[in-house]
Amino acid sequence: MWRGIRRWRGVVLVATAVVATIWLAATNQLILYIHPRYVLFTVIMAVVALAIIVASVLVRQPHDHDEPDTRRQKAVSIAAIMTSLVLGVGLIAVPPAVLTSATVAQRDINSAGVGADVTSVDDAASSSDAAFAKFTVLDWASLLRQTSDLAFYDGKPVDVTGFITADPDDPQNVFYVSRFVITCCAVDAQPVGVPVYSPNWSDSYAVDDWVEVTGSFGANQSSRSTQPLAVQPGESGIVGIEEPGDPYLF
Amino acid sequence: MTRTQLDDAPGHTHQHPPTWTTKRIAWIAVGLGGVVLLFVIRGFSAGLDVALPNQAQDLLTLAISVIVESLPFVILGILLSILVQVWIPDAWLVKYLPRNPVLRRAAISFLGVVLPVCECGNVPLARGLMVKGCTVSESMTFLLAAPILNPITIITTHQAFGWDSGILVARLVGGFLIANIVGWLYSLHRDQDSLLTPRFAAECRVPESHEHGETRMQQSLALFVREASVMMPALFIGALVAGAIQVLVPRAVLVSLGSNPLWSVLAMMVLAFVIAVCSNVDAFFILPFANTFTPGSIATFLVFGPIIDVKMLALLRTTFRTPVLIQLTVIVGLLSALTGLVVNFVF
Repeated sequence: MWRGIRRWRGVVLVATAVVATIWLAATNQLILYIHPRYVLFTVIMAVVALAIIVASVLVRQPHDHDEPDTRRQKAVSIAAIMTSLVLGVGLIAVPPAVLTSATVAQRDINSAGVGADVTSVDDAASSSDAAFAKFTVLDWASLLRQTSDLAFYDGKPVDVTGFITADPDDPQNVFYVSRFVITCCAVDAQPVGVPVYSPNWSDSYAVDDWVEVTGSFGANQSSRSTQPLAVQPGESGIVGIEEPGDPYLF
Repeated sequence: MTRTQLDDAPGHTHQHPPTWTTKRIAWIAVGLGGVVLLFVIRGFSAGLDVALPNQAQDLLTLAISVIVESLPFVILGILLSILVQVWIPDAWLVKYLPRNPVLRRAAISFLGVVLPVCECGNVPLARGLMVKGCTVSESMTFLLAAPILNPITIITTHQAFGWDSGILVARLVGGFLIANIVGWLYSLHRDQDSLLTPRFAAECRVPESHEHGETRMQQSLALFVREASVMMPALFIGALVAGAIQVLVPRAVLVSLGSNPLWSVLAMMVLAFVIAVCSNVDAFFILPFANTFTPGSIATFLVFGPIIDVKMLALLRTTFRTPVLIQLTVIVGLLSALTGLVVNFVF
């Protein structure tokens, strides 16, 4: 029994991870965990691994010549297997999910400059209103890092989607429309966000709710928030939406 | 699943039972049925309304992300290891390497150029090299150098940093020197086998002739099963620990140390240790920190991270004894810190 478990535990774990990967790819959710550029490679290797697993079950193999484990080795192995199985259950039985506001709090929103190809103020200055309306949370957040000159933002239409995280300095009146930006996989997700001034927003929405915010930038009327500018959503400028299929920005 | 063989006593005989017994067919059904069952469970459970607390959910998401990201590389590493062990003639590897030990290790450091797996895939590959007759110190040199001196890592690091502040050069030169210094140090050890876990050392000693006329295909599959059984629990545990640390340790604690030439180097080593991203992409990961941290500390992160982190220690523990890993962590830590300090204070 133990020899069988010791021999096949790896194949069972590979099968678990591979099935989860292929299913995520088939349902278009692999991008919840990794950058799109890795999807093809990951899927190819998963299919290869699945073929090898099936072959390893079908083809008779030479037996191994390992010494039997000592009692201590066996105890360590069992602990390792149990721990792995917990994660295995997480892979197979828990619905896939997006990172939440807990990770935003852990990583400080807009704390780090993002990637090399951010929107620069000079490039953006000549854009049309239609182009601005298409700007994402990431585009606006990188512009806000570069300039807080209200004249630059004046009259530009803002139309962004993201989930709500509270501004830690003024949680009552200001929230961020937030997204995670991913360079490789969810482990390196950096939160970015655009501040929105909306007194008592928590009466209608909760943290982690997905919303679409339309309006334009103005001076932030919150006295406690450290953000000089904030989106002033007009009447019905905040609309609750379903979580999108591609919740991360890349 | 050839359970009839597994049940053999250690002093087994070499008489195999007939190929298609009822028991064997039953185990095949269990195996294939199991894979189908996994798909079915995954399909059904997707619709469940499971509300985990945010932190637990994020821990799971991060751990799964590490697994999904690393698995293809681990599989690739195992396949290359099988290629080296089963399909490439013994003479090939040994013939073209220089005889002189120092030059030989230097040549081995560049094997990563033709075998571009990142660090998690390197562990099975290094095991394959040892089984194939490389010494422990040589395979250690490979293990340390290959994740840094490989085309994918060099391209991504160049994309992220260009030639600015000597970060790319420091990474390549530092990685090469550290790998060779560590290889040289361990080559002084008289009993190389004593560096390895007993199980793996025994595996290396099994003579090539101990085969019962299996085809190469059978040998390859057996090797896949064996390597997976060693690597996968380590990968799962490494992923879980990496996820837990991400959820529990606030990033701001480390970032606040960023601008001091000495503390930034140490902070970056801690960050590299806990974050455990692949060497192929760690340059992109660290790029956003480049404006708050000193260049030397970034170089330290890029040299130390591919070699030592929580996930790698779990994987390396499959092969090396714990005292060796502690020594390795200390030596590589000191040398990476030195690399960073040289960049900070000299350039």
